[in-house]
Amino acid sequence: MLSTVRTPTVALGLRAIRPTALIAARNISTSKPAPLASGALEPIDGPTPRREVLLPSQEKPKGLVDYALTSFDTIANWARQGSLWPVTFGLACCAVEMMHLSTPRYDQDRMGIIFRASPRQSDVMIVAGTLTNKMAGALRLVYDQMPEPRWVVSMGSCANGGGYYHYSYSVVRGCDRIVPVDVYVPGCPPTAEALCYGIMQLQKKMRNTKITRMWYRR
Amino acid sequence: MSTPIRTIRNLYRVGFKSYFNQMLGIGDTKAGTLIGTDRFGNKYFENNAEELPLRTKWVEYREYDYDASHVEPGWHAWLHYLTDKPANVEPNMLHEVRPWEKPEPPINQTFTRAAYKPYSTTIPKIQSWEPVARARA
Repeated sequence: MLSTVRTPTVALGLRAIRPTALIAARNISTSKPAPLASGALEPIDGPTPRREVLLPSQEKPKGLVDYALTSFDTIANWARQGSLWPVTFGLACCAVEMMHLSTPRYDQDRMGIIFRASPRQSDVMIVAGTLTNKMAGALRLVYDQMPEPRWVVSMGSCANGGGYYHYSYSVVRGCDRIVPVDVYVPGCPPTAEALCYGIMQLQKKMRNTKITRMWYRR
Repeated sequence: MSTPIRTIRNLYRVGFKSYFNQMLGIGDTKAGTLIGTDRFGNKYFENNAEELPLRTKWVEYREYDYDASHVEPGWHAWLHYLTDKPANVEPNMLHEVRPWEKPEPPINQTFTRAAYKPYSTTIPKIQSWEPVARARA
């Protein structure tokens, strides 16, 4: 509740100085609620009233420009979700399940997914396995080499939050400390079906991305 | 295995609208008997005579933005060959709604506005570095 009240004023104040970076950082939902971030906890007086909002798929375009931009977005998103080339970052046993997804039984090729060994020509990175401290730099390097737009799928408990090796001295406790993650696939290791479902969730996210509409709002 | 003749034959049977929906969903053109419809409006089909084993049952989702969790649990069991009879006939699925059951099976809310957002209630151990640059003289 507090964040919704505070964000516009902060954003307006900052727009004169640095229009991009800080606003983007403010709009991302952090793992910390706003009262805790400021340090002052206010007494909670009852639940906030329920606010009904439409789902993104239920929103209808308003006006001619919006209609055209929505159509552009639909075409671009359809193209993006139909040819998803992951860069393989197989680190441990999860990589075996990732390979199973590419074999004829699960057949990721029917969804247009082809493993591409070059990060410069791939869209999504599947982090499959334990990310060690030594590998973290290489992971970030590969992520930085990928062109925009890019997505990350964190596969398995080790990549999600350290998993079995959470208390090890040499393991990164979750690959989201290194790269921004879109989809977390739970499991140790997740089955090929689970990874397939995670990729379908990522395609769902792509379908609802407002590319040109957000550009027009600027 | 799909051949042009099979595709055209099934297209002739199911019609263009269903063909388009099937290409959006299962990516194949299939014709079969309608076994049932669940309470979300998804349609379940079966063709044991012509389709390959383990491809004999399929679903046509009601929504364009479909998700595998839109399938009702009983129909999920039928679709995945866990039960012999469909969910509206199978006696194990026809029990009354138990008090601890939710009236509707919950669907996956990931990437919608109802998605779960985790937050920590403890004071963070790590403070982010906020660099302060001194103005040059």
